[in-house]
Amino acid sequence: MDLDTAAIALNNVTKRFSETGPAAVTELTLGVAESEIVAFVGPSGCGKTTTLRMINRLIEPTEGSIKVLGRDQDALPAHELRRSIGYVIQQIGLFPHHSIRRNIGAVPELLGWDRKRIDERCDELVELVSLDPSLLDRYPAELSGGQQQRVGVARALAADPPILLMDEPYSAVDPIVREHLQDELLTLQERVHKTIVIVTHDVDEAIRLADRVAIFNIGGIVEQYDRPAAILRAPANQFVASFLGRERGLRQLALLTVNDLTTIAGPTATLTTPVASARQLAAANRVSWVAIGEGQQLLGWVSLHEADARWPDGSGEQATVADLTLQDFVAVVRPDTPVREALDVIVTSSSQMAAVVDDDTFTGFITISQIAGGLD
Amino acid sequence: MSAVAGFVVGQRTSNGRDSFIWWDWITRRPDEIWQRTLEHVQMTVVAVGIGFVISMLLSVIAVRWRWTYGPITWVGNLLYTIPSLALFVVLIPFTGLGFVTAQIALVSYTILILVRTMVTGLDSIPPAVREAADALGYTRLRRMRSVDIPLAIPAIIAGIRIAAVTVIGLVTITALIGNGGYGAFINDGLNRRFPTPIILGASLSVLLALIVDSALVIIGRIATPWQRIAEQRFEAAGR
Ligand SMILES: Nc1ncnc2c1ncn2[C@@H]1O[C@H](COP(=O)(O)OP(=O)(O)OP(=O)(O)O)[C@@H](O)[C@H]1O
Ligand SMILES: [Mg+2]
Repeated sequence: MDLDTAAIALNNVTKRFSETGPAAVTELTLGVAESEIVAFVGPSGCGKTTTLRMINRLIEPTEGSIKVLGRDQDALPAHELRRSIGYVIQQIGLFPHHSIRRNIGAVPELLGWDRKRIDERCDELVELVSLDPSLLDRYPAELSGGQQQRVGVARALAADPPILLMDEPYSAVDPIVREHLQDELLTLQERVHKTIVIVTHDVDEAIRLADRVAIFNIGGIVEQYDRPAAILRAPANQFVASFLGRERGLRQLALLTVNDLTTIAGPTATLTTPVASARQLAAANRVSWVAIGEGQQLLGWVSLHEADARWPDGSGEQATVADLTLQDFVAVVRPDTPVREALDVIVTSSSQMAAVVDDDTFTGFITISQIAGGLD
Repeated sequence: MSAVAGFVVGQRTSNGRDSFIWWDWITRRPDEIWQRTLEHVQMTVVAVGIGFVISMLLSVIAVRWRWTYGPITWVGNLLYTIPSLALFVVLIPFTGLGFVTAQIALVSYTILILVRTMVTGLDSIPPAVREAADALGYTRLRRMRSVDIPLAIPAIIAGIRIAAVTVIGLVTITALIGNGGYGAFINDGLNRRFPTPIILGASLSVLLALIVDSALVIIGRIATPWQRIAEQRFEAAGR
């Protein structure tokens, strides 16, 4: 990353909280490009929060320089700089004595906007973060955790800051709400294109949200900084590999879609295929069924066990698969299905394969081997 | 008060000058009672008002520059522990008998109480709220004005309640140096060995303390509507 063009550029930044103790952040150089989402992950106490808080000068670096949007960070008084950087924290920190409207309008109020403009902006923001507008006149204590978190995001975005910093924004909400909020952040980002830095403990969250992930080690040392897929595919060192954990392979699957895999033809027959050929086709694929295709369409499948039961003496070889009962194919995935989901479809179905179908067009099958093949 | 008790024992004549309470004496003086009430309230409001302003300043200083908290409470403590009568003796040569001397003694009394509760209140603001305010770009002064102090209102009101009730009691003593109030009834009764005004003065100051205290509770509730909602929610969750 070229530091000169970065929206946020940390250059050789060190932070020591005491003269003698170890540094919380050590000679960190890192750039965040405009409109990019970057996640900081790492074990507890490794300096993620410290780094984040140095960006908006809640903490002053001991050494090194930080540039925000090309400007030296101390070109402005700290409080003015902060008004152009949204900040969301786990504990949210809504003002309990102000209505939701006033909470959201906090920065516009500081910037001296008139009442009417602030109100209009609040109305826009509740819509942006999917909040019920009737909540605007309530106090924070009247809202659920998830709603409060949305207010926190709305408040951070109120004056349309180009940069958004988030410190474990979703770790206090339950997993279902968390996933919801993560989706919302991605949808929101498509509309607002902010430069976002998000600190998280959760590797999956980082992979899901971030364009690039920085893996921190104790002392604020960045062990690897790259696209999630690249980190998962090739961890820079043992620390990164063990931090990503045993599920590294599975996590990679979350980043791939069926489209990234090569499909195989599989045991595909037509309605006129004789049962004898169907048996060979199935055997070649080590299954006991064949799929019936018709042009670009997948009609369903037939069971060869049914053929065995119908003609136990081996007669009926002249019959075609059309004589067997056609059943609907249930293990179906789409090209944009995440591979992790496709894997689930395969292992939970009895067919051992999933058919890839795009708008009625059948393009082939995937099996566990195709998935394994996609991992490197 | 022990003087009152000692005096009352054994006096059991019928309605009249020597009876425990001579109701006619009281009902004949509505104007005087009203006058004394105004004096008492005025002494209290002025003392608590001045004490409040001084304490607010000291508290903001103590929170902003932490090292000053020790010295501030040390002085507050000293003022608080000097008995009021002793303070009168010290002050009278400089400020004479009267309003100013009485106010100095009363205000001195409120400072420790108010500073302690205010600093506790300002300190107990959730760190996340403070951090959020800083991160959003509040200046120190702005944060103090629109976040810290409003959120400390419950603690501040609690301090004012204690200060006000204490001062209402003390104002009865300032009558000794000629400042009117309910203490004037008590003085009068003690001088003339006449129980009715003593009891009247004491009862009225207790009543005033109760009324002022309740009024402050109500003011506190009105000033902190967000708290009521949080409580309701808490109760609802408990059920
Ligand atoms: N204000 C402070 N004073 C002294 N030491 C601090 C301060 N803030 C953080 N530290 C220390 O700096 C180191 C990094 O802390 P930091 O909060 O940045 O970690 P983190 O990566 O955010 O951890 P977590 O995941 O637990 O939030 C820790 O050792 C911490 O104890
Ligand atoms: Mg942290």
